[in-house]
Amino acid sequence: MSAHSSSDSNNSASGDSSNAQASRWIWIALFAVGAIGLACNMFLRQDGLAIRHVEITSAERVQARVVIGAGADSLAKPAQLTSDAAPLAIAAKIWVEPQDPRFATGEITRVDGVAPVIWETQKLLTRKEAAANEALQTHGDGKPAVVGANELATAAPDMQISFADTFGVWIAAFLTLAIFSFLYRDNPIYKVAESLLVGVSAAYWMVNGFWTTLVPNLFAKIAPDLVRAYAIPGLGVSEHPQQDMVLAFVPLTLGFMLLWRLAPKGGWISVWPLAFIIGTTAGLKLVASIEADLIAQAAATMKPLVAYASTTDSSGNAVRAVSVWSSIGSIVGIVGVLSVLVYFFFSIEHKGLTGKAARVGIWFLMITFGSAFGLTVMGRITLLAQRLEFLFYDWLNLS
Amino acid sequence: MPMPHLTRMPSFKAFFAILLCVAPVATIAVAMPPNPENVTAVDKPGDAGATVLLRWTVPADAGATNARVEQRVTRDGASVAEEWTLVEVVAADAGSGDGFAITDLPPDSASSGSSLPIAFRVALIGSDGEISPFVESSPVVARRNWFMTSRLNLLIVLSIVCGAVVLWILLARAGRSVKIRRIAALEAIDEAVGRATEMGRSVLFVPGIQDMNDIQTVAGVTVLGHVAKTAAEYDAVLEVPTSRSLVMTAARETVQAAHFAAGRPETYDAGRINYITDEQFGYVAYVTGKMVREKPAACFYMGAFYAESLLFAENGNSIGAIQIAGTAEPSQLPFFVAACDYTLIGEEFFAASAYLSGERDQLGSIKGQDLGKFLTGAAIIIGSLLATAASLAPSGSFASASAAYQAFFGG
Amino acid sequence: MLRRTIPIIILSATGTMLVVAYFSPFTLSWGETVLDWFNILAAVAFVLGAGNLLAVNLEKVSSRKAGWAYAAITLLSFAAMFIFGIFKVGAVPNPSAPDVHLAGAYEGLPSAFGWMYEYVLSPLTATMFAMLAFYVASAAFRAFRAKNVEAILLLGTAFIILLGRTAAATLLTGWIPVDSAFAVLRLDNVTTAVTEHVSTAGMRAITIGIALGVAATSLRLLLGIDRSYLSKG
Repeated sequence: MSAHSSSDSNNSASGDSSNAQASRWIWIALFAVGAIGLACNMFLRQDGLAIRHVEITSAERVQARVVIGAGADSLAKPAQLTSDAAPLAIAAKIWVEPQDPRFATGEITRVDGVAPVIWETQKLLTRKEAAANEALQTHGDGKPAVVGANELATAAPDMQISFADTFGVWIAAFLTLAIFSFLYRDNPIYKVAESLLVGVSAAYWMVNGFWTTLVPNLFAKIAPDLVRAYAIPGLGVSEHPQQDMVLAFVPLTLGFMLLWRLAPKGGWISVWPLAFIIGTTAGLKLVASIEADLIAQAAATMKPLVAYASTTDSSGNAVRAVSVWSSIGSIVGIVGVLSVLVYFFFSIEHKGLTGKAARVGIWFLMITFGSAFGLTVMGRITLLAQRLEFLFYDWLNLS
Repeated sequence: MPMPHLTRMPSFKAFFAILLCVAPVATIAVAMPPNPENVTAVDKPGDAGATVLLRWTVPADAGATNARVEQRVTRDGASVAEEWTLVEVVAADAGSGDGFAITDLPPDSASSGSSLPIAFRVALIGSDGEISPFVESSPVVARRNWFMTSRLNLLIVLSIVCGAVVLWILLARAGRSVKIRRIAALEAIDEAVGRATEMGRSVLFVPGIQDMNDIQTVAGVTVLGHVAKTAAEYDAVLEVPTSRSLVMTAARETVQAAHFAAGRPETYDAGRINYITDEQFGYVAYVTGKMVREKPAACFYMGAFYAESLLFAENGNSIGAIQIAGTAEPSQLPFFVAACDYTLIGEEFFAASAYLSGERDQLGSIKGQDLGKFLTGAAIIIGSLLATAASLAPSGSFASASAAYQAFFGG
Repeated sequence: MLRRTIPIIILSATGTMLVVAYFSPFTLSWGETVLDWFNILAAVAFVLGAGNLLAVNLEKVSSRKAGWAYAAITLLSFAAMFIFGIFKVGAVPNPSAPDVHLAGAYEGLPSAFGWMYEYVLSPLTATMFAMLAFYVASAAFRAFRAKNVEAILLLGTAFIILLGRTAAATLLTGWIPVDSAFAVLRLDNVTTAVTEHVSTAGMRAITIGIALGVAATSLRLLLGIDRSYLSKG
């Protein structure tokens, strides 16, 4: 790869230098125009600067111990117990809100010496919500005039400017423009966005695979206690842990073989798990394709060539009459399927009658593709509109 | 003990007379439906053990509209039986024919393999809600069977399709001609790789964005083997960016094998086959960027593609590369067809590897595929003709033949 | 033997077993089990992917190759995102176990991982996707210049379908009475007829062909005829 890419960059470097000069000026000009426009928007319009607000609520949990057999009430409220603490019921120690009603009934008691945990949760507000809240806060300042009319509304939530989210919107806007710049040509800003995208997304899927696959499906089977203690406190207790562990050792062993590639010797063993995977795919897809595709589609094609429709005659009696359009439709359908199948024949050259049938098949294919093409266009334009909406509405605050 | 003097008493005579007169009237007013008859419960054969078929017959002129079905599990034989629980209130005649299928069996008997017998009882309900006495079935055990009868048709079709392929592989080995028509897209591979070599540019191979659990990726990787062999023979530079780690591993194996096959093991460079990212558009951003920077002379897109297909193909077009695509993703075929020089459509893509290998066995398997297609076409024609005959004469014997035929195909 | 024969045996045995398993109620769940295993293997394989990504980019940075700064950006962003996610930096605690840090959600704001997703990854991917609008247009224009029957059919159909799905349909052919003999010429009716009869037929045939292709490809692999994935090294 190295030799090749460097030879290519040499090629481009030895290209027309005045062209490179011109393109540099175009970029500088574009940036200048963009910066001036942005500055105008920021300083000349009241809401010209994208700012994000969050609503902050605080949460607190205290550790409690479940008192076994504490009156009939504990039986009367199984739903509450399960919803809050079922996963931790095994430990018999649960984390609850300080105001949990079960403290009063004696079902649970505080665990001494364990400090409560307090944290804040943030809810990102939309521009509308933030504006509404702001209006409330300015009104609510020492002017409880609305009390009684709407008590809820006066309790304005704790709203703050979120620097992280405000900065985020600006970053997102910059990256959006950076990607769009590729439409003009490849450029350093696109390259930055591309490199960032590759790095971030690769890590994203790896982290995803770790937390959603490896931890619950592999580690939790092999070392359930460890996983329960450090990652998934709510991990249920398996009915047959031994069996789970033995089964988990199969992918674990195959995984080790796969990673053996990194070892200096014996990397060929990684073909074994690969063969296992390909075998799995071949076996599963062989049956699935016959069942879901071949049989189902062939069955759907078997339609009567002469279609009848139930109508009423002049005297109001129900009669069956040949429906011309449906009949043509089903004939076209069957001719289409058969002619395209002929096109796919590999044994016979597309000559003579076969050639003509195959030709009809190609026309059917092209119409099929055309209609898929036409149906997709609208969706793609919608996607573009959404991106532009982000830029103009969320970032530039232009309604 | 008999009471011989009773009927002689006038008051009793009068009572019986009244009773005789009232009896028919009372029957009409109460209208209790008769008992259901022949209540039998049988385990549904050929299933996963979660269904029991309950049959009963409704006596003629019973006037019953519904039937109430109840069930209970019997533990330790008949000594400990649980409470009767309602299964469902169904139409009175639901138990006729094959019977009423009960799938929501009590948990410990429904979990396949349990041998707990379950008894059922049925009562008929009249139009005014009056209910007949229950009639109980003998207990039945819902057993898990060895073969799933509902998949028999699949097994038959599968055997025919696989049989056709295997038959042709054997015929090919026996020396039958395995001539296959020219597939332009595959013939163009040599030309494309050759052109890249002449121009001193690289060849780009994109094996789709899915993992090895997609058969399209597997097919794409097998095509990669042939492209890599050609590239190794021409000494062209082949770049394979992958969007999955496993695909990278498989691609490395395959390309290495191709270099061995071409007799050029020393030119194999694992560094040209790289993992980029699992993210669809992250991968596209990287590959399209690479395309406009390095300007490969030939681009191959073989595998499972989604929305990114057009991003690849249009960028490939803008740099003037020869583009050959192959996918079985019907929604993306239009874009490849519109923007690439050659496109392997669906089945052609799956035949590509066998076609390129030129081996008799593999070419034979393509012939087998054709036989499968021929049989499918014939099945469709027969089905349509039967359906047409049934449509022209809805009460004739063709109608039942057509219905049976359609039922085989799950229609 | 170890390198060539055993892999083929593994492949054939696994595949055949899964085909047979599909027909017996006793083994129905095997398919799901091996898919779980596949997912685990794919996750384990991330080690190889990550190793490759790090090696390639570190090499670029350390040898100061052209564009090494971009490789550095990839490396840094990868490392940051990975650490944020694995250690759940800034994650909201799990209400039922707030003392176990790793029990919190790794996704969602305001965690660092969630922030990176929301403001870096998501806008980048969405914009790449949105670019398709421009490429669809250029592809249509390209096909338009091809000037053969196939291209005309493809684009013509696309055009009709596009018109038929928009207000243009009513504008152009809305004057044709719905109950007249010419009602079939109304664009919305033409669109329905094309999608219901012609393109459905095309799709069906493509799907049938694919099913046979998949079956033959799977068989070639299971029978050990196609061994292109096996290196001899």
